[in-house]
Amino acid sequence: MRPALLTVLSLALIRSATASAQPAVTGAPATPLSARNASYTIAARLDPATRTITGSEVITWRNITTKPAADLQFHLYWNAWKNARSTFMRERALGSTGLGPAVDDRQRRADEWARIDVTAIKVAGSDFTGLKRFIAPDDDNPDDETVMAIPLAQAIAPGGAATIEVSWTAHVPRTFARTGAIGNFFFIAQWFPKIGVLQDEGWNCHQFHPGTEFFSDYGVYDVSLTVPSGWPLGATGVQRDRVENNDRTTTHRYYQEDVHDFAWTTSPDYLERDARFEHPVLPAVDMRLLLQPEHAGQAERHFNATRTTLKYYGEWYGAYPYGHITIIDPAYQSGAGGMEYPTIFTAGTRWLAPPHVTTPEGVTVHEAGHQFWYGIVGNNEFEDAWMDEGFNTFSTARAVAEVYDPNYLALRYFGGFIPWVFRDIALGRETEGNRLAGYRRDAKSDAQSTPTYRYFPATGGSITYNKTALWLNTMERSLGWPTLQRIMAAHFEKWKFRHPKPNDYFETVNAVAGRDLGWYFDQVYRSSNVFDYGVQDLKSARDGEQYHTSVIVRCYGEAIFPVDVVVTFRDGERMTEHWDGRDRWKLYTYDRSAQALTAEVDPHRVLLLDVNYTNNSKTLEPKGGGAATKWSMKWMVWLQDCLLSWAALV
Amino acid sequence: MRAWREGMRRVNRAPAVLLGVWALTLLVSLPLTAVVRGMLAQHLGSSLAADTAASGVNYDWMQEFSDQATGLGVTFKPTIIGFGAVLDNLSAFMDDIERPVVIVGAASFYILLWIFVAGGVIDRYARDRATRAHGFFATSGVFFFRFLRLAAVQWIVYAFLFGWMHPWLFDRLYPRMTHETSVERTAFVARVALYLVFGVLIAAATMIFDYAKVRAVVEDRRSMIGAITGALGFIRRNCGAAVSLFLANFALFVIVAGLYALVAPGAGRTGASMWIGFAIGQLYVIGRLWVKLVFWASETALFQNRLAHAGYVARPEPTWPDSPAADAI
Repeated sequence: MRPALLTVLSLALIRSATASAQPAVTGAPATPLSARNASYTIAARLDPATRTITGSEVITWRNITTKPAADLQFHLYWNAWKNARSTFMRERALGSTGLGPAVDDRQRRADEWARIDVTAIKVAGSDFTGLKRFIAPDDDNPDDETVMAIPLAQAIAPGGAATIEVSWTAHVPRTFARTGAIGNFFFIAQWFPKIGVLQDEGWNCHQFHPGTEFFSDYGVYDVSLTVPSGWPLGATGVQRDRVENNDRTTTHRYYQEDVHDFAWTTSPDYLERDARFEHPVLPAVDMRLLLQPEHAGQAERHFNATRTTLKYYGEWYGAYPYGHITIIDPAYQSGAGGMEYPTIFTAGTRWLAPPHVTTPEGVTVHEAGHQFWYGIVGNNEFEDAWMDEGFNTFSTARAVAEVYDPNYLALRYFGGFIPWVFRDIALGRETEGNRLAGYRRDAKSDAQSTPTYRYFPATGGSITYNKTALWLNTMERSLGWPTLQRIMAAHFEKWKFRHPKPNDYFETVNAVAGRDLGWYFDQVYRSSNVFDYGVQDLKSARDGEQYHTSVIVRCYGEAIFPVDVVVTFRDGERMTEHWDGRDRWKLYTYDRSAQALTAEVDPHRVLLLDVNYTNNSKTLEPKGGGAATKWSMKWMVWLQDCLLSWAALV
Repeated sequence: MRAWREGMRRVNRAPAVLLGVWALTLLVSLPLTAVVRGMLAQHLGSSLAADTAASGVNYDWMQEFSDQATGLGVTFKPTIIGFGAVLDNLSAFMDDIERPVVIVGAASFYILLWIFVAGGVIDRYARDRATRAHGFFATSGVFFFRFLRLAAVQWIVYAFLFGWMHPWLFDRLYPRMTHETSVERTAFVARVALYLVFGVLIAAATMIFDYAKVRAVVEDRRSMIGAITGALGFIRRNCGAAVSLFLANFALFVIVAGLYALVAPGAGRTGASMWIGFAIGQLYVIGRLWVKLVFWASETALFQNRLAHAGYVARPEPTWPDSPAADAI
């Protein structure tokens, strides 16, 4: 089917699928989109002076499994930052996670750590406060207090419900993992006692790990937040009410249905901007931007990047159903940038942000993209983070390539403040967008099928983000974009507002592609093997009237993928061989009137996971010497300048 | 200003010195460049990746090379392109970023060469007349060991500045100053302020050691402690002039770097554009060397203008006034 026709049909399908669910911008879709089995009514007050939150919540929880619930389990994420003995902090000490500490933990003052203390908990009106205990299902760490359990006197049967009332106090930290405060900037996420996800296998309520994010059920959030008057507030959902109190505070009530988390931010410094996303087919989305004053000139860049996401993700996968979105430009050094929450996300930019460099666009497209992969399709980020981070990295690269071309490399100097744009280096989607360099370094660190929370913390990101993006793009190049787009759209449609697992995705791939791609996922998902094909030898010498050409290609890596081998002759003739890539090496011979010129394995670079592409080709007219001379002369000027810098001291 | 102009004039009148120090720079950089060239050529081999690397930038290849590189190879990064190289080095200098040991070794050797030629160079500018190779190297030899002793003092001072003062300013004070800073511009201003503090300290130390060398050569001093004391005394008594001259010379550096920023070649291609790019790069290097020499020459001129008397060892040829008999003739 022609791509244009496909697109029109896809858009028509999207329209028909979303028209009935098209919400007014009230946070309340016309019909429920999700199971809504974990709903929260929360009232909380922020005291900025003491950086304390006092809150109470009523959780309406329903058992949607086939097994009774004998206990209840809750996440208390902020206890991960209570001291250095938590699992989060111990794992973080193993190496940088890519999230990066906002400040060196050793320099933290006592008041820059966090805690969350549950002061009371009632189930169906009965007090269970004395029965609460901390458990550590992942590593038995007795010092970890990020999961709280309470035994129930009477199990909650399948289909049964419970009303749980919780009161708590929490101390806001100097930012950890995108949550916390600096100065008068507050970004508050994972901040309330949050019930785990009960599955037929039992509670899925992991401890907080530095390399993973979150997992929770969908529900309705009705949240009242009291902050100082005059402080703009952004949050998940839509503001339904605002009350000015007598104590110079304001209570903002936000409401949103069919989401699985709630985050908010406030600061007196925010500038507010509004814009709207409109599209011939997709539903309109009101965009609200809370911006740092020093980035006032970058508002439109944030909006355009968000529009890019809503347009392309909407056209490719499915419509954004909420009708509103809030973009947060976090404060400098807040450590809150680049994070997704339902209907709200943090972007991240710099004071000096030159054009044709995708800051803030790259992170904005990515985090807005998480509204689709994480927000709408709610996979388990503790165990299968690649299903949102990887899908989204791939999609980000694809969307950025559609709009932001050229996108140049910029490096920063002098403490990272001064950018310099290298207009010779336009960043490509396939390798830069999908982050091949990071994957190359960490390719063997973990098999992707390992639960994400068990990845080595320092390298897990390369497996979660980079490897997935690369194997998806490889699929795109192998199957074609129309097929992959149908796969992703089918997966999105089937699993929106639900919790897919890896096999659910693989089944969709096989069904839509019409073939079993299990062998591929054995390579890229269930193994840590790397791909490395290459041309070992190319010879072409006269033998009588003809040239005898021999090409030896090799599989240097352990992973297997069928690749093309192309031999080009001086008369322009090209011979293409299809190699299944299974043997360690293969010999191709030709007797032709013309001498061979080049031999290439995977000349169209279908296999983007190949960690060493330079060895994929050989030519009998090499230019390596000339290129090496050119680049070494550039390096020489750099070296001379380096020498002169230090010679200034003589 | 007179000393500044005089310094430039003296440097321009001695192109052999400029060419000589450029040759020294080439001498140190060429062998390492050959090593890097070998690494690049080996990695590219007969791959078609070389075609794009030759005709422009093959960033994928650069990254692949960088990921697999060791030793000198780790310094082969996009920052070597054009003016990025200057920013990279200045930034590394001001942020005290560690360089690979091979680069540190090369820089040490280069500095040693400068210590060797410093006596001859300053002597040439002090005399303001050709000293010929023999005279140049004889003077260089005479002052080499004296300047090595001076270098020991310099090493202690710079080790203090880079080893203690810099970490204190940028790793302890700066984080404290900006701990609660949530506005990037504010943090930038704080960092610039600390750059100024550190830069002034470096400039002060450099100026003192420059004048110590000048006094050592012009007055044929053997004691380097005495030369430093003399330099301090001279700077104290001529503070305005010495500082103004230093700033004027620093402005020359800014102008040279600024001009290079305007004309610095990008990746380019192989062939003629490669050589043109290289030539522009070398012109910049010569410009930097010229500025460095102007520092020494102008400081020598200032010292001679302010404190010279006929008994000094290294001095320009006296220009005697015409004899009264000339009128009669």
